[in-house]
Amino acid sequence: MQRETIKIATDVLIIGAGSSGLWTAKHLKELDADLKVTMVDKSAADWGGLMTMSEGDFDAVTPDEHIDEWVQDLVYYWDGLCDQALMETLFKASYDRLCEYEKLGCRYIRKENGNPKGIPQRGLDHIKLCITEVKGTGGEDMRDSLNGEMKRLEVDRIGRVMITELLKENGHIIGAVGFNTRTGDFYQFDAKAVVICCGRGGWKTSYGKNTSTGEGLRLAYEAGAKLTNMEFGQVWNVPKLFSWEGQTILLPLGAKFVNAKGESFMDRYSPVLKGNTDPHYTTMAMALETRAGRGPIYFDTTGLKDEDRQYVQPTGGWQVLNHEKLKAIGIDFFKGRTEWQPQLFTSFGGVVADAYGRTCVDGLYAAGRSRFLDAGVYIGGFDLSTTSTSGYLAAEGVAQYLHDKGDSIVGAVPDDVINEKKSALEAEMDHNGIACKDVLRKIQEIIFPHSVCILKTEASLSTALTQLLQLKEEILPEMGAGDPHYLMKKKEVEAIMMVTEMFLRTSLERKETRGGHYRADYPTRNNDTWLGWLQLQKQNDNLTMTFAPVPIDTYKHPLERYYQDNFDFPVEG
Amino acid sequence: MITNIDKEKCIGCGLCVERCPLDTLRLGEDGKAFIAYPEDCMTCFICERHCPKGAIFVHPFKEMLPSVYPIA
Repeated sequence: MQRETIKIATDVLIIGAGSSGLWTAKHLKELDADLKVTMVDKSAADWGGLMTMSEGDFDAVTPDEHIDEWVQDLVYYWDGLCDQALMETLFKASYDRLCEYEKLGCRYIRKENGNPKGIPQRGLDHIKLCITEVKGTGGEDMRDSLNGEMKRLEVDRIGRVMITELLKENGHIIGAVGFNTRTGDFYQFDAKAVVICCGRGGWKTSYGKNTSTGEGLRLAYEAGAKLTNMEFGQVWNVPKLFSWEGQTILLPLGAKFVNAKGESFMDRYSPVLKGNTDPHYTTMAMALETRAGRGPIYFDTTGLKDEDRQYVQPTGGWQVLNHEKLKAIGIDFFKGRTEWQPQLFTSFGGVVADAYGRTCVDGLYAAGRSRFLDAGVYIGGFDLSTTSTSGYLAAEGVAQYLHDKGDSIVGAVPDDVINEKKSALEAEMDHNGIACKDVLRKIQEIIFPHSVCILKTEASLSTALTQLLQLKEEILPEMGAGDPHYLMKKKEVEAIMMVTEMFLRTSLERKETRGGHYRADYPTRNNDTWLGWLQLQKQNDNLTMTFAPVPIDTYKHPLERYYQDNFDFPVEG
Repeated sequence: MITNIDKEKCIGCGLCVERCPLDTLRLGEDGKAFIAYPEDCMTCFICERHCPKGAIFVHPFKEMLPSVYPIA
């Protein structure tokens, strides 16, 4: 089949049209209305990414709070693995973003003194999330407001195009290539800078089936950027049968996890924090309880007060439909208990970049969940906050780069090289083979067991890595597509394979327990060896791993206490 | 997961095809929407909510995944 080649010249190419991509585009055009900004998404051009599925809750340092105290909370919460200057810069930009959302029509609950009402999180002293007035469409309202800005600011948007490779010359980025996931048409972008805004790597669970599939990390890695925090998995507590968003807010209001005996088991693992803690510690405890024969685990909402129950019930969007359909088949989320389990969702790993999105590759920027931040634990509202602030700040980084180097960024990939890339993609598109979903299933079977992704040991990780490498060598090359849609799925699974291998290798390497990384065979923290980041980079076609210590002596806030010390988990031999 | 598109009710407007983030749906030769890639549905309800004729049904249960507690 003859497929078209579409060539697009732009100043900045943004890959991914979720929260971070939208904020990058918005602020770039605000900084320089003459810039040509093009945003591509492999999905519908304006669907909004995972922000669309969210509650809209947002962590903002309001005028009556102190940024230093918020950073101190994170240093404690992340067990020291916090880039303090980076987080200070992001937090400084948070309240203005919340106010922009309000100006665009989103509504947050405000107190009598005029400041947003904050809900404390995870037993932390200072960090709070601001909550939307409307339950169920908070994320959609934010998306719609930003989509309006894209029209006003004349950002070029292209949907159903997946980027497969970044183009480089003389060490700097000059564009990217990809394909239309429906027509198979080939796309070539000439760009002076590229911003990766496509979320994390993950394992296609629940509503992470589209966005968090790792191709952004793969693009960056293949172009020479560093990745870090790959050993930290987002292991969420989820209903066994259905999806639910917003349990975070219910825990401080009286909902709790109980075991088969009805015991609020978190009281035992953490007498101080009890159930109001990070989901990653809850899922560790869920796995331990189930392993000890006290499963299954339930989420019990009977402790909610009636007045609270009223304002946490979804009143619109997909969540109200979900809630009503569940009630119709006899599951009333707010009036009983439902079976829950741990589920590995995504990798916390991201591209190493400064506060302005700069990576070690000239012209390559990363924002939102594609960039590294968290160390394996998660505060509600953090992603909507940091995707907006890091997108906003990446725009400043890109604008500065274009100002400094814009005129000197010249270069073009020769036509014959581009044609080769097009032919290779077309051949892949038309080739049938082992179905992507079958390869994905095999990866999931290797990585999902709790002994691999939650209660990690040398033995379980080594066995999983051996199985994965065999799959990579024997099955992955036989995976086929057959049409453009399945080529997109194939590229996703290839990225998931990369992320899985990195997760296992770095999990094996970090022989200690910190943040969301729990090594049952090394159950304590080891600051002498491991207070730092494991960074991965492609060098001479090989995966290399280096260690970057946390420069704690040069930081503003000393390391005095650790969130993990709130928990008493058993030590295995 | 999406389980059904009622051919009688579908008017072939294509909104669900346009909106589905996962590219699960397509318009068939008969001009009606159909579930082209069922395994890709993420139960987001976007198609059902956009359908002007109530032709689409998404069941709230998600896809069953390999177990977190496999039997050794």
